[in-house]
Amino acid sequence: MTEPNEELKIKSQQKDFWEIWENRKTWDEIQPGELRPTVPVTLTKEAIQRYATAIGDLNPLYFDEEYAKKSQFGGLISPPSIHSYLMFACTPIEDWMREPGTINAGQSWYFNLPARPGDTIRLVCKALDRYIKKDRLFIIHENVFYNQNDEVVCSGIGWTIRPR
Amino acid sequence: MKDPYENIEVGDVINGSDMKVDQEKIAEFAEVTLDYNPLHLDEKFMKKASFGKTQYGGIIGHGLLNYGVITRMMTDWLWPRGGIHRRLQTKHVKPVFPGDTILPNATVLNKSISKNTRWVVFKIELKKQDGEVVVEGESLAEFPAEQIK
Repeated sequence: MTEPNEELKIKSQQKDFWEIWENRKTWDEIQPGELRPTVPVTLTKEAIQRYATAIGDLNPLYFDEEYAKKSQFGGLISPPSIHSYLMFACTPIEDWMREPGTINAGQSWYFNLPARPGDTIRLVCKALDRYIKKDRLFIIHENVFYNQNDEVVCSGIGWTIRPR
Repeated sequence: MKDPYENIEVGDVINGSDMKVDQEKIAEFAEVTLDYNPLHLDEKFMKKASFGKTQYGGIIGHGLLNYGVITRMMTDWLWPRGGIHRRLQTKHVKPVFPGDTILPNATVLNKSISKNTRWVVFKIELKKQDGEVVVEGESLAEFPAEQIK
């Protein structure tokens, strides 16, 4: 497991994906089975609410503490698809998922437990397979997010088409 | 109260809420997910960029925004019925461009019972305003038996 690293954390916020893009692994260099470096992050209420608002999901389970306390969840949670944010929050700028022109072809996620505000989330992820179809370079990657109690939050597989 | 699971029938359709995907929405999604790929933000780059034989001619929306709109439809429908959204698999068959409106739906394909719990399988679609399908997928929901009172 990669230890928390302030510098990497800041770099996961980097907006310019062209910066150091030549240092990222290409399809040829991505080794199936090799772990990608990751950085644990603390999930904040603000990050959850910003994400929920962007997808148009104003469920009180993400916003209203009193309502959430009385619900089956016993407190605020995040939408299942919060992994979309966590994938980038938990990986450094060098990670090949940030390669400009990376096309998302599809994904499959299994949701085990909701992520909650204050959770420290860590990601274990790697490429699992790579192949060429109709001259396009595919990578299959797998990802598992754990909380601070080492419980699985969600796990998933993604298909991306690589630009190089 | 009647067990909500009993009321679910194969062929039942759920219609989710639509979303207008404009440049502003795409930029907002980039901010909240940290996914600043130029695919979604850099019009100049996308005007010229080629993806094999494919050219988009401009920026495209995030596939994961489609995904979030679908999970919202599922949790809005499932939670009040005691269901848990367990799985969502999606395949992006067409891009979403700024100005498009996306609209998700789900159809109950199957109900089944495993050793410990009960399940519903859904066929998932996300369409554009003109009816073109942009996402095809499948979803799974759990209805724990202890919800039966």
